[in-house]
Amino acid sequence: MSNVEFIKPTSLQDACEALMKPDYLAIAGGSDLIVKMRNGMYPNLKGLVDISGLPPLNTIRTDENAVIIGSGCTMNQIAKDQLIKDYFPALAKAASTVGALQIRNSATIGGNVANASPAGDTIPALFTLVADIMIIGCNGRRQIPIVEFFLSPGKTKLAPGEIIEGFKLLLRKTRGEFLKLGERRAHAISKINMAVSTWNDGKNHYRIAMGSVAPTVLRCREAEEYLESSEQLDDNTIARAAEIVSETAKPISDLRSTKAYRKQMAGVLLKRALQNLR
Amino acid sequence: MQENLIKISFSLNGNAVETEVSPELTVLEMLRRNFRLTAAKEGCGKGECGACTVMLNEQPINSCIKLAATLNKADSLVSVEGLNEDKLMKNIQDAYVEEGAVQCGFCIPGMTITSHYLLKNNPNPDAHAIKQALSGNICRCTGYRKIEAAVKKAADRSSKS
Repeated sequence: MSNVEFIKPTSLQDACEALMKPDYLAIAGGSDLIVKMRNGMYPNLKGLVDISGLPPLNTIRTDENAVIIGSGCTMNQIAKDQLIKDYFPALAKAASTVGALQIRNSATIGGNVANASPAGDTIPALFTLVADIMIIGCNGRRQIPIVEFFLSPGKTKLAPGEIIEGFKLLLRKTRGEFLKLGERRAHAISKINMAVSTWNDGKNHYRIAMGSVAPTVLRCREAEEYLESSEQLDDNTIARAAEIVSETAKPISDLRSTKAYRKQMAGVLLKRALQNLR
Repeated sequence: MQENLIKISFSLNGNAVETEVSPELTVLEMLRRNFRLTAAKEGCGKGECGACTVMLNEQPINSCIKLAATLNKADSLVSVEGLNEDKLMKNIQDAYVEEGAVQCGFCIPGMTITSHYLLKNNPNPDAHAIKQALSGNICRCTGYRKIEAAVKKAADRSSKS
């Protein structure tokens, strides 16, 4: 018997107000939330606020020199979008590897980020694209760089009554790669995942981030700086960068993988990614 | 305590329908309980096996992790039963039978509806495309080869006719 209240707000403002109440949760695709509900993770749940029908959240649009990806965009929507594929290939690739076809039609990018799993596949990609998280709440809007958004597994800086409205990315052509390792090649939660984005504005820039190797996604600054200061991307440079990320990784052993394997694979994935980008 | 019931309306297998659901009822549970459409099945209940696959707005989804209350008037839901008269689906189902692709049968409605989506969008898929399309559908009898052969056969036959 359920006595959960179900609210279908007609505006973002109404949604935020409904989410001010304790034990009310936002639902969009539901692919993470429903599983958690069924696993009994929300015994005190009082209400669900359905934000899936709020149109401003479901589009990808450009705004002057930025691209704004609505938080309600599904993984397939992002993976198939021509602008995302052309400008932010690391993100398009990450979105195309989440779950399987059926999940990618439901799961949203906002949910993937708000859920704050250390293994969330779009998070490292958004790190490398220097995304800002656009947040709306009862008292207005604010933006947080994604690197500052996560506190611990499942915990973010979102306050009660706040919703992720979208992600703001600078409209700048990047080249990128996203690689992950799971128990099988398709439809698996990452044992480790890695995103690399690079662009040139007269100077080569690199951004590297990896997931499932720490309580939150890690940006690999040391390896980025090493690559930016290297004259060319030869085998020795790639090998050294791989060693650096392997040292940056701070994984644990859990039911999906071991500490030693993850540490070693951090280097292997970066090597593969850089070879593909050469 | 009185249970909250939410009135929803949407299109089901081509017909406008209305029903009442509790907030936590999934689309899968609604199909099976409210409409007695039992082709879609609950395997894992968490979006991992694909036995509950149905089409929502022409895209396959896991109906076990979609809340019925989130359906809107503009949404079009199609289950295997809605494709009973569909030529391509008939072809796919025949090919599954001919190839012996059906063992215990529990995964088959999900397999055939995902195969239908694949062949509708890619009439001549190669082996990789077939595997990729069906990667969200698990067969616990592990009879994948015959399933893949059946999809290939259905594709070959559709392109000839």
